Amino acid sequence: MTRQPDPIEMASLFLRGVRSGLDAGLELPEAAARGAASLPRGARDRLRSAARRFGGDYGEDEWGFDAEFADNVEPLAAFLYERWWRVHAEGAEKVPAHGRALLAANHAGILPWDAVMISTAIMREHPLPRQPRFLVLDWAFRLPYVSVVMRKVGGVVASPHNARRLLEQDELVAVFPEGVKGTGKPYSERYRLQRFGRGGFVEIALATGAPIVPVAVVGSEEIYPKLGESPALARALGAPFFPLTPTFPWLGALGALPLPSRWRIEFCDPIATAHYGPEAVRDRGLVLELSERVRDTVQRKVLENVVKRGPAFL
Amino acid sequence: MAGRRVLITGVGSHMGATVAGRLAAHPHFDHVAGLDTRLPSERLDGVELIQADIRDPAMDTIVPGAQVDTVVHNQIVRRPGPGMSSRAMHDINVIGSLQLLTACERSPTIETIVIRGSAGIYGAEPNAPQFFGEEMAQLFPLRTRFQRDVSEIENLFANFAARHPDVTCTMLRYQPGIGPSVDTQVTRYLAARLVPTYLGFDPRVQFVHEDDALDALMAAVERPVRGAVNVAGPGSIGLTRLIRAAGRASLPVAAPVFGAVADAMRRLGVPSLSEDFKRLLRWGRAVDTARLVDEVGFTPRYSTPSAVEDYLRRRGGLRLLGGLVP
Repeated sequence: MTRQPDPIEMASLFLRGVRSGLDAGLELPEAAARGAASLPRGARDRLRSAARRFGGDYGEDEWGFDAEFADNVEPLAAFLYERWWRVHAEGAEKVPAHGRALLAANHAGILPWDAVMISTAIMREHPLPRQPRFLVLDWAFRLPYVSVVMRKVGGVVASPHNARRLLEQDELVAVFPEGVKGTGKPYSERYRLQRFGRGGFVEIALATGAPIVPVAVVGSEEIYPKLGESPALARALGAPFFPLTPTFPWLGALGALPLPSRWRIEFCDPIATAHYGPEAVRDRGLVLELSERVRDTVQRKVLENVVKRGPAFL
Repeated sequence: MAGRRVLITGVGSHMGATVAGRLAAHPHFDHVAGLDTRLPSERLDGVELIQADIRDPAMDTIVPGAQVDTVVHNQIVRRPGPGMSSRAMHDINVIGSLQLLTACERSPTIETIVIRGSAGIYGAEPNAPQFFGEEMAQLFPLRTRFQRDVSEIENLFANFAARHPDVTCTMLRYQPGIGPSVDTQVTRYLAARLVPTYLGFDPRVQFVHEDDALDALMAAVERPVRGAVNVAGPGSIGLTRLIRAAGRASLPVAAPVFGAVADAMRRLGVPSLSEDFKRLLRWGRAVDTARLVDEVGFTPRYSTPSAVEDYLRRRGGLRLLGGLVP
């Protein structure tokens, strides 16, 4: 039986290969190729993919979504999903397997971890998994690194133009109609949905004929229990709000570590909109009615799932 | 129908000379006049060259005298040339356009005006839609001098178009050009071995291939539509990916010191970067080309990624490290 060599052995195998190549009079790139050839297959594949990406040869669509990158960070998402937050997802199969659809979820927890978990739930539990694109508060796109990662895993700037274009491309799009009102609400208001704005997400669904799938998320409320905020720091950073939690900013970056609450995600029955026709966008009554219906469904399911979940952290 | 008569400004530039030559060779065009302060060095068959400054009030007699039905305004300066101050650039762009329009007022034969404008009017913003549509020019405040100039030019032409409903004004909003024979801020940036980037940012950028830039202008002259039309290679490319594919190294610089570091890097071959270009490097910008395809009837041959690929291949710099490891 062959033993998998450890990293130091692999490095020395590689360097030995490079040196013998250089000794044989090869140029550095060819010598590196020869060194790589002496590595075991798994390591060789990883090195090849890293070299290819470093050469700028990787796929990104016009939105900056990078499927390979999303695959690479999947183990982290899987760890958070299974171990950290012990997510229980229900009804993932109700998400349309193809064609345009709009997921509308409640939003909490300051950083959009709920978006990551919704997407992980679909990727793991859906019979035909598909990566949703989510509309992220534009503030996240002002932040170094955060903006880069957001885009690579399928986030786009929360703009109605973007939502519309994505749906016209028959993508699955996730929105948080509460917006910053949801992420920034204090801990005392947990499980209570904020206002859904003017129902812009319904207008987009009507204009594109996309069904709306209400999604209820329980658990995101507890990951950063917001006790207060600092308007002065928010202004200084250009952020919509600056949260104060039991750990943040007192513990610095460590304080940004989300608490390990127990989560439940429930996907509800889709609400069809195609039969109203795109003209219905101008029907204010219908827009508000559908918006209220989605909000009621999500609110009801959130409360149901709070009860089903039991204690928040155990 | 008699052949069309056309006047093109900025004929001394690469783009101007090429378009003038192609119009002169085109069977639909009987007469082509080219105007610039510096005339093209190569000979242009069938093009009547007029040496004049677009800012000169003499335009008032030159343009009506040419008896044209079509004006192609190709003299909007995107970055100051050698020895050109930003003041002169502003003058050529705004006063030049104003002078040209005053001259057009006195030319009753004019039916069509096509302007090679800039998508710079949209700016570059962190919270911009991924693809700007033509109707989104006023989503954000005008932040740079060039942006304000472009906006002023657009207003001048929009006012003219409103007063002259019989004249079709097409405002082409060009994304930065890329290609082996053009010299733009992008190609200059990619010519340096080590380029500055914003630490922690990887914006989506978009370009138009030089061939498509020409063909789009020709298409708009042949089939003018009213109002603004975006011109770009569809899609977008990440700046990091662009730099890596070009085989360049990037030096990530924190935003507050970016300007100072970029200036210091000029000794290493980094060109001086305009305010607009810096914003592009931080936030990126892309436009939607549906109107160009559907209404002007021109489909770009190169998407943004393929325009980049073609440019790098012909420049001989496409780095394919993918083949490095067996």
